[in-house]
Amino acid sequence: MSSVNIARALKAIKRSIWVYHLNSGSCNACDIEILDALTPYFDVERFGIKLVGSPRHADLILLTGPVTRESLPKVVRAIKAMPRPRLILALGSCGVGGGIWWDTYSTIGGFKKLEDILRENGVEVDRVVYVPGCPVRPEAIIYGILLLLGVVEQKVKKVEVVASES
Amino acid sequence: MSIAKILEIALKTGRVTRKYPYEPPLLTSEFRGAVRIDPSKCWGCGACVKICPPNALALRNSGKEATLEYFVGRCIFCGMCAEVCPAKAIEVTKEFELSSTSLENLKSRVIHRLTRCSSCGSLVWTEAELKSVVKSSPIAEEYAVLCPKCRKSKFARAASIRIGVGSE
Repeated sequence: MSSVNIARALKAIKRSIWVYHLNSGSCNACDIEILDALTPYFDVERFGIKLVGSPRHADLILLTGPVTRESLPKVVRAIKAMPRPRLILALGSCGVGGGIWWDTYSTIGGFKKLEDILRENGVEVDRVVYVPGCPVRPEAIIYGILLLLGVVEQKVKKVEVVASES
Repeated sequence: MSIAKILEIALKTGRVTRKYPYEPPLLTSEFRGAVRIDPSKCWGCGACVKICPPNALALRNSGKEATLEYFVGRCIFCGMCAEVCPAKAIEVTKEFELSSTSLENLKSRVIHRLTRCSSCGSLVWTEAELKSVVKSSPIAEEYAVLCPKCRKSKFARAASIRIGVGSE
């Protein structure tokens, strides 16, 4: 597999990023918020973001849901069908860390495990942005995509504090 | 609908689009975002860990220290932890711009040092919890530094001396 220059590819798609909405067994709350982000109220077409009907046309996949066992082969196929660079936005608590289904038998629980399965299947993912929220706000989705494109700065960082010293 | 009618409605309504990243978001007073743990108030008692529905909060004991880890990527923003916290150390903020390129950035940790039992040397509880218990009931100070087992035997010895059973 040829290596992809992600910085160059991101620069090329910066003003026109096509997204594919991939629901992997979510409760539909995040999906409604994606729909909300597409309405004239938030109007993501300001940034050239457009919803497409096939992963073959997409630059970015909006992955919602905790990836149920039933949907796992379909999710792998959809991500495999994407052209390089493969960019993924893991949306919501379920998409990022498995949510309240983090250890149930019927879901694989979180994007980290999905990434391992994708690697086993020979599917490389070039860049992932995790967007927590339950459900994610439309503003948070816009913020996540802009973080992926490098328009806004990342606000969260790792915090480690010793309690008795403070 | 004719184009004239659509234009009339559009002109009356005006522009509705939010210019989000360039203007502040619309947040209601009820909105709950990520929680923030105040390390100066937290005891490390683990009440929030027990109530947390998705186990976003976890307390790990490494033998030397107990670490309270908050993984915002799994949090469902229910605010139950802030409700049950006995030390009022957890605060629900309005933060929602939590996007990150790595999972490690979504974690925040509060590290507690553990205290040892003054008689047998086994691990008892965190320094902060000991301090707060001694502060609220100063009589218990000599018992607070003991582990539950030593505390029980010490109390039994003291009681038996008082009522005169088994002394000498």
